[in-house]
Amino acid sequence: MIVEAMSDVIAEYRELETRILTAIREESDEAECDPLWLEVFRFQRRWNQPYANICATRAEPRTWREIPAAPLTAFKRTALSVVPAKLVAKTFLISGTTGESPGTHHFFDTRLYEYSVQYGWARLGLPPRPRFVLIANEADAPRSSLSHMMLALGINAGSQRYFLDADGRLRFEELENALEEKIAAAKPVALLGTALVFLNLFEQLDRRRFILPAGSFAMETGGYKGSGREIPKPELYAMFGEYLELAPDDIINEYSMTELSSQFYARGLGRAHEGAPWVRAIVINPETSDEVKVGETGVLRIFDLANLGSVLAIETQDLAIRREHGFELLGRDPGALPRGCSRVADERVRR
Amino acid sequence: MNTAERAHHLAAAAERSAFLGRTTADDLLELVRLELGHEAALDDFVQRGEHFARAMAPRSILHIVSGNTPAAGLQSLIRGLLLGSHNLAKLPAAGLSELAQFREALPRELAENVEFSFDLPEEWLARAEAAIVFGSDETIAHFRGRVRSDQTFIAHGHRLSFGVIFDDPAFASVADAARDASLFDQQGCLSPQVFYVRGEARLYAERLAGEMAHCDALEPRATISLSETLAIRTAREEFAFRAANGEPVQVWQSSGSTAWTVVFDSARGFPHSPLNRFVFVKPLPDDLAPELQEVRMHLSCAGVFPATIEHARLLTALGVSRVCPIGRMQTPPWTWHQDGQPSLGALVRWADFEQ
Repeated sequence: MIVEAMSDVIAEYRELETRILTAIREESDEAECDPLWLEVFRFQRRWNQPYANICATRAEPRTWREIPAAPLTAFKRTALSVVPAKLVAKTFLISGTTGESPGTHHFFDTRLYEYSVQYGWARLGLPPRPRFVLIANEADAPRSSLSHMMLALGINAGSQRYFLDADGRLRFEELENALEEKIAAAKPVALLGTALVFLNLFEQLDRRRFILPAGSFAMETGGYKGSGREIPKPELYAMFGEYLELAPDDIINEYSMTELSSQFYARGLGRAHEGAPWVRAIVINPETSDEVKVGETGVLRIFDLANLGSVLAIETQDLAIRREHGFELLGRDPGALPRGCSRVADERVRR
Repeated sequence: MNTAERAHHLAAAAERSAFLGRTTADDLLELVRLELGHEAALDDFVQRGEHFARAMAPRSILHIVSGNTPAAGLQSLIRGLLLGSHNLAKLPAAGLSELAQFREALPRELAENVEFSFDLPEEWLARAEAAIVFGSDETIAHFRGRVRSDQTFIAHGHRLSFGVIFDDPAFASVADAARDASLFDQQGCLSPQVFYVRGEARLYAERLAGEMAHCDALEPRATISLSETLAIRTAREEFAFRAANGEPVQVWQSSGSTAWTVVFDSARGFPHSPLNRFVFVKPLPDDLAPELQEVRMHLSCAGVFPATIEHARLLTALGVSRVCPIGRMQTPPWTWHQDGQPSLGALVRWADFEQ
């Protein structure tokens, strides 16, 4: 009985996976239409009990927009997976705030994840460049979704070198030498890292400057987590200009999270994040739960077909402005916590 | 102007600020009597044992007023004026119109003893003989580092308050509990974040939800920021998820808005409320000490039902500095010890005269 159920879920998974892979590869119309989204939803509701329990309290969706979203906290409290633990091939850890246990995102198979990463990246139309990755190698950080993303990106890339130690320390001199080589040869490069690691790099550079060859670019991704630091994007991008001679348009911001399998990208400053057809975002008014109008701010809710093995609809805790196409990310806004003398949980937890 | 005259004018001006609760000239003079031993101790030498003593108020007091609770800032200002000091109030960026309105209601002689600023002039910090700071631990640490050793420094950090329903089978305290949790939208240090209930806790939560809705209808919550709304939404989603997945949790909430939320949660510990009328109900365990252990140093007020001296003894032993009836949590008498400290007594210095 259990064996049968397991083969059922696998068969269903494979059937849907094939359709999603086709939709991703061909950017076919199927990803544009509701039926595939709703079929994935029903599949997840059938096999993912904690998710089914939330859905039982919500109305039956008629379109992808109405698919009940799981809160991020669900990943911390349960194994939000369509397959039982023994069929999980890969698990990424979701870091939590202090005092919170880390969450998990389980994958029956990471093929969809990798496809989504590669095809999503390809849509950016960036020239092929040797990649300097300032993110831990997947071998050193097998539980990190970001490291896995880099692994996926590297599969078809010409050259990809890592400059972060297993303990997260930047191999500064090695990177300096590698950059100097490229500069001497006038070969453009791509630098990939978290905002925090770039910030650390700029601080270590101190008075030194690199004039990266024209055609170079950088990808930075959110991540000051746990560092207690955060600088506004225009300031960070100004530092890219100062230290690496990269213009804002040479910098791409990636927005995603461990709970997702796809990414959103925004190039330069003042532009909206956009995703591929198989990953969508809507902006919800947190007060009324209605979708906001273009130009208004709300909380991001994301629908990701590549999240086939867990749950496709996720409500983030990030604020964003809805744009004609995509959204402008504001992120979490710690400055706006209640300001009275009543003590707030977050502050207490930090201690 | 002597103390009695100041008390008279202050009480008249305070009448217009309903949120201050009862403030009569007698209340203010009673505060002077209890804290300084004599109603005229600020005006002249008064008998003290075999000699005489006179309370010397700071010539100027700096008030660092934080956030959106007008009551705390205004009370501090009133105490400063009652002492006869010059008062320098640094207001939060968003302003506190209640303080300005209060100053306008004062006679000129007293109004001249109040200055407001949105930033902090260095000169103020140098001039103040006493500094009273309301705010987070970080804010307090910041200002503590900036005052001189000869300046009196009084800090009111962030606090947590709660209610304990020891015995209320008829749910007589529910409406009062809802009022305590709705007034000031839980921004105050005396605002309850959770009610521990002995007996039918879940039913109490349900009744409380009804009363929260009633409070919302009578006096809606103030406008809150998007992030605050999001914090409520996030907390609601978490508890809804837990409830859907069989945990002993239940959520009642305003529909189509985040106006109010009541969460019944059997899990142990002091809960984390996102505030703005988001209140918890938990079963009262036999021993409350472990529930409060983590937050002991930040506890302020416990509203209780019924309010008995035994309950006060129990709760003060657990770190609470004020115990009062449910329904009166937000309106302490003028003579209360805020954060367990004397208010006027901590500000004055004494001069003695032996004949």
